[in-house]
Amino acid sequence: MANLEVKKHMSAGQLAIVVFVTCIGAQIMLTPRGLIAEVKNGAWISVLLGGMFFYTATYFMLRLGKQYPDETIVEYAPRIFGRIGGGIVIFWFNLLFYMQVITIFYGVGRIITFYMFDRTPPEVVVLALLVVCTYCALQDWGTILRIQQFLFVIAYSILILVWLTSILNFQPENMLPLWPLDIKGVTLGSFTTWGMYSGYECVLLLLPLVYRKVSLAKLAKTVGVAFVGLSIVFMLIIVLTIGVLTVEDAKNLPFPSLIVIRSVELPGTFLERLENYLLVTWIPVVFDTLAAMMFFMAEVCMRQWRHADHRPILLMLVPIIYIGAMLIDTPQVNEILGKFTMWLGLSFSFGVVPTALLLTWWKKSKVGKDCG
Amino acid sequence: MDLLSYLGHSTISKWCKVCLGCIFTITISMFIGGCWDQKELQERHFVLAVGIDKADEGEDAKQEKDKKSLESFIQPHGDKLYRLSFQILQLTPASSGGEGGRKASVSTYVISSTGESMFEMLRDMLGQVSKGFWFEHIQAIVISEEAVKQEGLQPIIDLFRRDTEMRWLIKPLITSGKAKKLLEFKPPSGEPGGLFLARSLHLYKKNPHMPGWNSGLGETSQAIDNKKTVQISRVELEGDMIKLGGTALFKEGKFVGYIDEYATKGTAFFSASEKSAIITIECPDHPGKILAFELFLHETKLTPHINGEEIYFTLDIRMKGNLGENQCGDHFDAMDEEELHKVEILVAEEVKHNILYAFHSYQHLQTDPGDFAGKLKAHQPLAWERVKEHWNEEQFPNISLIPSVNVIIENIGGHK
Repeated sequence: MANLEVKKHMSAGQLAIVVFVTCIGAQIMLTPRGLIAEVKNGAWISVLLGGMFFYTATYFMLRLGKQYPDETIVEYAPRIFGRIGGGIVIFWFNLLFYMQVITIFYGVGRIITFYMFDRTPPEVVVLALLVVCTYCALQDWGTILRIQQFLFVIAYSILILVWLTSILNFQPENMLPLWPLDIKGVTLGSFTTWGMYSGYECVLLLLPLVYRKVSLAKLAKTVGVAFVGLSIVFMLIIVLTIGVLTVEDAKNLPFPSLIVIRSVELPGTFLERLENYLLVTWIPVVFDTLAAMMFFMAEVCMRQWRHADHRPILLMLVPIIYIGAMLIDTPQVNEILGKFTMWLGLSFSFGVVPTALLLTWWKKSKVGKDCG
Repeated sequence: MDLLSYLGHSTISKWCKVCLGCIFTITISMFIGGCWDQKELQERHFVLAVGIDKADEGEDAKQEKDKKSLESFIQPHGDKLYRLSFQILQLTPASSGGEGGRKASVSTYVISSTGESMFEMLRDMLGQVSKGFWFEHIQAIVISEEAVKQEGLQPIIDLFRRDTEMRWLIKPLITSGKAKKLLEFKPPSGEPGGLFLARSLHLYKKNPHMPGWNSGLGETSQAIDNKKTVQISRVELEGDMIKLGGTALFKEGKFVGYIDEYATKGTAFFSASEKSAIITIECPDHPGKILAFELFLHETKLTPHINGEEIYFTLDIRMKGNLGENQCGDHFDAMDEEELHKVEILVAEEVKHNILYAFHSYQHLQTDPGDFAGKLKAHQPLAWERVKEHWNEEQFPNISLIPSVNVIIENIGGHK
């Protein structure tokens, strides 16, 4: 019987949902502290600028992908950069997902044990989450896509709804001065938001699945809508965090975007300690990001090693992911790895991809001349 | 080719899968059942209020001195600076048994320990109880003035800011007396003392004599991080009477002093943080008698202005309310518009007086309540950068505040 879950095609809208869901994950809890400490009141501008920068990067990726219909970066990278160069690019691409996955596992394990199960070792929490994510990533793309679409509607609306309760403690004055004095800092801070937007690289892998008849313009427009959505969500989180806690307080809290609803008192209800409810609604959001990224890692390896099935490779990757997450044993190591991953991602998006595009154009123009 | 395809094609695969599935399900069920770390409600001591005193405060009676030796432990580091007390909820379930049946009851008792680290004292107190403490329901932290004068506020509240079990809605309070005595106080309503204190603070909306608008642990923590003045409600116990009113001020974590109820009410007018207030004036044509205005709606706008090197603030206030009480008798006709307008002007004057009284109280203590520095930072960031280093000591005591108040009496009540 045919496997109905093997997804051969997807629409531009579905790609936009995947980009949205893959980008929003653990980093909405983990990143805001560093960004606010660095950019202060101008953090909301950095988020918007970051949205524009990373959309530009995604647009380059879409253009590059459109040059090679029916192929992923794993197939065309060696043709652009040569066998060794291509191998490095593919390794780089996969390392990006790996670094993100292990830092997310570490962060999630830390938050959940700290706020919910303080006597449970983080290793247990990470292992449980890893098992669930692996089970999801073992499915074919059709199932994963369906889960992402489902969570896009359910999990995100609940998460944002819970988050919005912090409006009860919002002080608009805390946002002022709205326009920061340090414009340079705000601009540089926008690159720090890579941690929030990261995940958009998946288009290099998923583009061949999008119907060929979908034009680049339509793709750019639809993915642009996803980025508008991402920018709004991230800006909302930053604005709420600063508006409720102030910049100085947010700087001193390890997870300010979680603590933001700690002071909320819902009149007439017995609900207290709302941060636990926020954590519970956040877990599915982390799950879908991790499951997708793990699938992408296995898919890259499968294509690279010319296997027919991504599942054995994924099972091989599981211990590597777990060990990687466990090796991050202090927040300092996590911070260093976070910075390393950010530079890895920025140089891939703004160095490797544009170079690949330029080389492709150059090669194609050369081919045209030779023919003529 | 690989393990999965091998399992998929093997003849024993079906049984293998079933067995593996069963083992997996049973193993997972053992861990996710939640039974391994269960804690029943009756297995916990609910701490409702915390009291922090100076360690050797009030040890007069011999009995107290004997107790002190038990409320202590050998400390490898630090001194005996604080006495930490917990008010613990005691729930007695109802029991049936004919005439000997007992009704369910709620009471509290207090235990203490002395030391320097709050955490260490907390753990030492486990030697006085049979169950673990549960802190998620703490309602109030009462700190004595003597205790806070020792090392400031930060070492006292650090544990409560840091521990994830503590809620941000816990109400800190300051008393000039002994915090432990307040924990031992039995409210006449029969409520547990911690709940009584927290609920009393919730009445700040109608009682501007206490600074309930920023009274939670979260706001206190935020003020400390922002190097703003911490304002904590004052509570006093005299005999069997308890009273909340006035504010204790802390600058950079150090106790600065108290402001009285009148200044606390004036502070509420800076940012319209009260929901209702009673403003009294003397009768326009009959001095010595009183009229009371009941505030219903309050809008305020505090604006910083820069004139060269000079900084000053304007405070524009619009108030609407009712005539709440008239003790002027026939000397005042509430139906007369002109008379009513006179009252509006007098109420506005009184509000201005109250505001300036509060403002000068803060200036005298060289302590910005937070509104002024906050406004300057938000609206004039360049000027703030210039003065922020010595704001409290040099700038704030010399700035001017120009209040302007517009009062409208909308209703005169149910009688002429």
